[in-house]
Amino acid sequence: MRYPDAASIEAARTQMRWMRFVSLLEGTTLVALVFIAVPLKHFAGFPAATSVMGPVHGFAFLLYIWMLAQAASSFAWPKSDIIPLFVMGFIPFGAFVNERRLKRIETDLTLSR
Amino acid sequence: MEYLWFKAFHVATVAIWIGGMLMLSLAVAALPASASGTPATPSPMIEAVARWNRWVTSPAMLLAWGLGITMAVQADWFTAPWLLIKLPIVLGLSAVHGALSGRLRRRTGLAGQETPSLLRFAGPATVVGIVVVAILAVAKPV
Repeated sequence: MRYPDAASIEAARTQMRWMRFVSLLEGTTLVALVFIAVPLKHFAGFPAATSVMGPVHGFAFLLYIWMLAQAASSFAWPKSDIIPLFVMGFIPFGAFVNERRLKRIETDLTLSR
Repeated sequence: MEYLWFKAFHVATVAIWIGGMLMLSLAVAALPASASGTPATPSPMIEAVARWNRWVTSPAMLLAWGLGITMAVQADWFTAPWLLIKLPIVLGLSAVHGALSGRLRRRTGLAGQETPSLLRFAGPATVVGIVVVAILAVAKPV
């Protein structure tokens, strides 16, 4: 993909950095929900953990899907990037797999300068 | 009482979000198609829609999510069927908004491309989505 000027590349890189941050946020809240909050609820009798982490992860997940749709549309990503990024959003630790893909995409942007 | 305030602002932010999305879908449909390799020329109207989307529509959507989640937690609605059906629709509306925003973001700088076929149905999809959401949230038929 070609960019007409340095400002456009910088804007695209900023968008990618936000995408990576939100992806990690979503992934971290999912891990915290599944591996900390849910066991605390079921094995330690502490239901407040899921009452807090559930909505926090819900918000982070909405943010992730929204930003993924925005980046996919903005950069005209192929389905071979969009589908894995979408599916991994549902899987604990999937965000860390996504991080490699997103970093590669961001590096490609840098190279296009 | 607190619930009614949350509800009032939730409805207001949803109205601002959906109104902005419909305007966005028209703006994206009206984006000039340009030859590959040459940047599309943005019109002042498109620029105004993009600014509105950034500073009004997108924050309204984020607030609508936050207020909606807060109300659902307070009322313990997360097991209610109407909410379980509503959530994927909200996710879909958010994704459509993201796709429209991304497409509009590409208006300058990069070569304009044909609007993807799915985005051509963004307006009608938004209308259908919000009607179903309103029925589920207000009438709670299930």
